[in-house]
Amino acid sequence: MTEDLKKQIQDEISTHKILVYGKGTKQAPRCGFTLETIDFFNQLGFPFEVKDVLADNEKREALTEITNWPTLPKVFINGKFYGDTDILGPMVENGELERILTDAFADARA
Amino acid sequence: MITHAELESLIHAALPDATVETRDRTGTLDHYNVRVVSMLFSGKSLLDQHRMVYDALSGALKDGRLHAVELKTEVTR
Repeated sequence: MTEDLKKQIQDEISTHKILVYGKGTKQAPRCGFTLETIDFFNQLGFPFEVKDVLADNEKREALTEITNWPTLPKVFINGKFYGDTDILGPMVENGELERILTDAFADARA
Repeated sequence: MITHAELESLIHAALPDATVETRDRTGTLDHYNVRVVSMLFSGKSLLDQHRMVYDALSGALKDGRLHAVELKTEVTR
């Protein structure tokens, strides 16, 4: 992984409170799981960013290395990696995700 | 594509005690729902539990036999 790519990813993760690396865009998802993840965050009602890495193998490999997680989509909240909706779904049910998101967006509302 | 039995045996190689349920989502044997229940998940975060299963499936994910997994993990009660 080049330093430039590592820095680019770190910048993206710190810029967006909720960041989804997926296949395709919000307007045109190109994978069922990416679509599910977009629907998931639309329902939660917090702003989120989707970065399409479908065609960027080097970046996909860098992301896999950083997260130790092989598949897309990959979700970051407040700079921390949270896996995908298989992880986030149960976190909605136990109320954990709402706390994390409320904290993450608290300074933006103040 | 990968059969249900192959998928199960990959998971059992890493998690011998696991109860594994597989469901083919698309009829193409490459998009699966997988539920894994194991004692070996005990004390691990959900993220790490999923990593353990993905590690077991890494070969099949890399060579393209398996495209996508919707995964659910639980600690044996």
